[in-house]
Amino acid sequence: MDRPTRKKWDFSAGFYDLLAWGTERRWAPRKRELFANMHGRVLFAAVGTGQDIPFFPPGQDIVGIDISPRMLARARARAAQYSGSLELRVMDIHALDFPDHSFDQVVTSCTFCSVPDPVKGLVALRRVLKPGGGLYMFEHTGSHVFPFSLMLNVMTPIWKPIGPEMNRDTVTNVEKAGFEIRQVDNVYLDVVKTIIATAPK
Amino acid sequence: MDYSDLPGREEHQLERRIYFVAGDALSNCVMGMAAAWLAAALVDPSWSMPSGMFAGMFAGMGLGLLLVPVFVGLFGAMEVMLPVMLTAMVSGMVFGMAGAMQAPSAPALLLGGGAIGLLMMLLTYAVDARLHGKAR
Repeated sequence: MDRPTRKKWDFSAGFYDLLAWGTERRWAPRKRELFANMHGRVLFAAVGTGQDIPFFPPGQDIVGIDISPRMLARARARAAQYSGSLELRVMDIHALDFPDHSFDQVVTSCTFCSVPDPVKGLVALRRVLKPGGGLYMFEHTGSHVFPFSLMLNVMTPIWKPIGPEMNRDTVTNVEKAGFEIRQVDNVYLDVVKTIIATAPK
Repeated sequence: MDYSDLPGREEHQLERRIYFVAGDALSNCVMGMAAAWLAAALVDPSWSMPSGMFAGMFAGMGLGLLLVPVFVGLFGAMEVMLPVMLTAMVSGMVFGMAGAMQAPSAPALLLGGGAIGLLMMLLTYAVDARLHGKAR
């Protein structure tokens, strides 16, 4: 277990919902649209305080993981309101405790801005995904547009101790991990985006 | 699943919800005014223009880092953080340079800072309009 990362997100659990209040409302339509793709057995990594749970389509079979027990403690109330099957487990994305090919889909939401070794984490997700299974991601990344690229690079070391990194190249990381990119859509600038990829067959 | 017909492929509308558009305008105006005030308070005509510009820029960005979490909590993350930090930087630069020439009046700080905020917001909306939608 990556203890520094767990400690960071345990610390942030107390104020995370307050800081994300506007963000979740702003992104709600695009998240709801992306999550509407869920079907079969779904792994949701990382579920955090469960702010995304209200956007899940009803009646699905979902396993939600997170490295932070305090985040998950907050997520449980939201999980209890979900109309389908939603199991929450404390787990490090780098070392998933699931058999190979055990999920039809993997869904992430602002996850790979924070996973310490993103390619290793994505490889772990590919392992548990069935061949041909879909990876659906809602992520914020770095930018290729000046001055936004500069600002994200400057802000990353400031925010990193209590939150995410803001200059990741997540699309490239998905490819490095062996996924096949199907679609990338910019939600805001070239910073907030949805990525749809599949595990090779 | 047929991945050739994925949802999200069509162009999505830019932000039109009044709460968020008004929030963007408010955040950038307040940030522009605050950065202008700080730069003008810091820099006086004894400074050279380049040093006033850099001091104003760094002071504005420092103030931006303090104020951004408030705006982010209310109106959204990247959609607020990026234009507001840009506003803080530009407003600080402009009023740092202005302060090195002569002390700006209070109405000039408020109007100028607010106008810079609105301009930076519109600039990011324009860039977003170009980048929005299918990237690959």
